[in-house]
Amino acid sequence: MNWTNILNFSRGPLLHVAMIIFVAGLSYRLVRVLLLGWARDRAKNKGSKLWGVIVNYLKGLFVLPFIPWVRRTFRHNELTFIAGGLFHLSLFLVLVFGTAHILVWKSLWGFGWKGLPTPILAFFSAVGIISMIVLLINRLTHPVLKMLTKFPVWINWLVVFLPMITGFIMARHLWFRYEVIFSLHLISVSLLLIWVPFGRISHFLFYFFSKTIHGAQAGKRAVTP
Amino acid sequence: MKSQKTQSAINTYLKETGGWVASQLEACTRCGICAEACHFYQALGNPEYAPIWKLEPLRRAYEQRFTVAGKLKLALGLEKKLADSDLEHWSKIVYEACTVCNKCAHVCPMGIQLGPLIHEVRAGMAAAGVVPADLAEATEKQKTIGSPLGVTDEMWRERIDWITDEWEAQIPIDKAGAESLVVFTSIELMKFPDNLAAVARILNRAGENWTVSSTGREVVNFGYFEADEELTRLFMYRVFKAAEELGVKRIIISECGHAYDAFRWAAPNMMKVPKGVEIAHISEYIHQLWKTGRIKLKEGAFDGETITFHDSCKIQRRGGIIKQPRELLRVLAPRSFKEMTPNKEQSLCCGGGGGVISIKEADANRYAVFEMKIEQLQEVQARAVCMVCSNCRLQFVDSVGHFNLPVKVHGLAELVSKALV
Repeated sequence: MNWTNILNFSRGPLLHVAMIIFVAGLSYRLVRVLLLGWARDRAKNKGSKLWGVIVNYLKGLFVLPFIPWVRRTFRHNELTFIAGGLFHLSLFLVLVFGTAHILVWKSLWGFGWKGLPTPILAFFSAVGIISMIVLLINRLTHPVLKMLTKFPVWINWLVVFLPMITGFIMARHLWFRYEVIFSLHLISVSLLLIWVPFGRISHFLFYFFSKTIHGAQAGKRAVTP
Repeated sequence: MKSQKTQSAINTYLKETGGWVASQLEACTRCGICAEACHFYQALGNPEYAPIWKLEPLRRAYEQRFTVAGKLKLALGLEKKLADSDLEHWSKIVYEACTVCNKCAHVCPMGIQLGPLIHEVRAGMAAAGVVPADLAEATEKQKTIGSPLGVTDEMWRERIDWITDEWEAQIPIDKAGAESLVVFTSIELMKFPDNLAAVARILNRAGENWTVSSTGREVVNFGYFEADEELTRLFMYRVFKAAEELGVKRIIISECGHAYDAFRWAAPNMMKVPKGVEIAHISEYIHQLWKTGRIKLKEGAFDGETITFHDSCKIQRRGGIIKQPRELLRVLAPRSFKEMTPNKEQSLCCGGGGGVISIKEADANRYAVFEMKIEQLQEVQARAVCMVCSNCRLQFVDSVGHFNLPVKVHGLAELVSKALV
C-alpha cells in the first residue's frame, strides 16, 4: 500500500465514515439530553428572560473574549483566558477563512467566500498551536486542572492538536511529501470527528444550552448575567 | 461499597436529572475558571473546593446512567460507581465549603448554574442521610419544635411580648384580615430583636395592616439548606397555610436570604402555593413604602463614619433586589455610603450562608473567607456595614468579634427605623 492509496482512503471512505459518526453521535447526544425532559418554571419573573439571554450572549461573544481582564477571575487564570481565547479565535479564522478549508465548505454547501491572505493565516495557525501547547502545560501544572483532568480530557487535547499541527506543516510545505502529510492531516481530522461525540469537545453544542439558561435565569431575577 | 444509602443518593440524582441538569453538565469544558470565583477556594486554596468538582457525584451518576461515554468509562475501569465513602467525602465539601452563593455561575464561560446544581448534589446527600451532624440537628429541631434554634411556641410568644414592651413596638399576632403576613427568622427573634422591632416600627408608621403568625412563625428553611425536598416543602407549607388561614395578600420575608430564594423562586416549582399571594422581601417592601411616601426618612441620618453595603447572594445576586437598598442608603448616608468592590452581582459572599454557619466544623472555613471580606471593608475604610440578611449578619457579628474589628454591623431595617421622621 502506497501513500497515494492511503490518501484516497483517508479522503474517501474514512472521512465519510468519520463525518457520519460525528453527525449521528452528536445528534444522539442532543436528542438524549432533550428527551430527559424540561420542567416548566412556574416562578413569576421579576425581569425579562429575553433581555438576560441577549445580554449574556453579547457579553460572552463580544466583550469578555476581547477584554477578559474586566473579570476578577482573570487573575490567576490569565493563561486559560488568553491562550483559550486565542486558540478559539485562530481556530475560527483558519477553519472559516483558510483558503483550503473554504474549498471544503464549498464542496459541502455549494458556495464559498474569500479567504484571508496566506501570511495572516500562517500567523494565526502558529498562534493556535502555541496556545494549545500553553494550555497543555497549564493543565499539567495547575492544581485544579490537574485534579479535573481525567484520561478523556488528554485525548481531547491530542485529537485537536494533531489536525492543527499536520495542517500547519502541510500549508507551509515542510518536511513531508504532499500525499503523506495530507493523508496524516485527514486521518487526524477523522479521528477528531469520531472522538467528538464521546468527549467534552462537544461543548460547542451544549454551550447554547448553558449560556441560554444562565441568561434566562439572570434576566428572570432582574440581575445582569 | 455501595449501600442502600448510596443508592438513594443516586436515585435522587437520576430523578433530578432533566434536560436542565444534563445539558449543563455536558457543557463543562473542565477549564477550572470557576475555582477562582469560589471564596472557599480563594481563601483556602484546596483544589477540591473548585465549584465544578463539587458536582462530581451528580456528574458520575448522570454519565454512568445516561451517556455512552460514562458507560464506557465504567467498563474500562476508568471510573468507579459512587460509593458510601464518596458521599461522605463530598458531603464535607458541599456543605462545609459552599454557601451556594452562585458566584461561580457568573464567571463560568459557559454560564453553567453551578449553585443550583450543587443544591442538587446536596439533595442526594440529604436523601442518603449524609449531612453534617450540626446541620441535621438544626433541621430536626425545625421539624419537631418549629425553629432550628429550638424556639418553642411559648418561647416565641414570650419573646414577641418582650420585644413589644422593650422597644414599644406593636406586633399584631394572628390578626385575621391583615394584608401582609411578616415572617421572621429565629435568628432575628433571639439574636437581633432590634431588627424585628425595627420592622414593626416601620410597618406601623406606614399604617400597614400587618400581622405575624403563631403557626407560620419561622421563615428560615433548614430543609432548603440540606436540600431535603420534603422538609423544604413542609417548612414552607407551614407559612403558606398560615397565610391562607389569615387571608393575607402578601407574605413579607424578613432579612433572610435562603428563605427569600425558597419562597420566591423554588416554592412555585415544588409545591402548591396560595393563589394571588405575593412574595416580597422586607428590603424591597421598605423601599416601596419610602418610594410611595408612606414613610419619610431623615436625610443623612447616618452620615459621619463610612458605611458600606454587603450584598447577600440570595437577595441581591439571585434575588435582584440590588437598587433598592442602595437607594435607601443614599438617603440615609448620602456622603458616607461607599461601595465595596466587587459588588452587586459580582459580590463576595460572607462565607456563612447556605447553612455553613450552623456547622461547627466549618468555622475555620468561614473565618478564612471572612478575612477576604475584611480586606474589602478595609479598602473603603468602612466603620459600619449594612446588609439585608440575618444569616450574613450573624456571620459578620461573629467574625467581627472573632477578629476584633472596629466595625459596626447593621440590618437595613434597623437603620431605616432609626431615621424615621
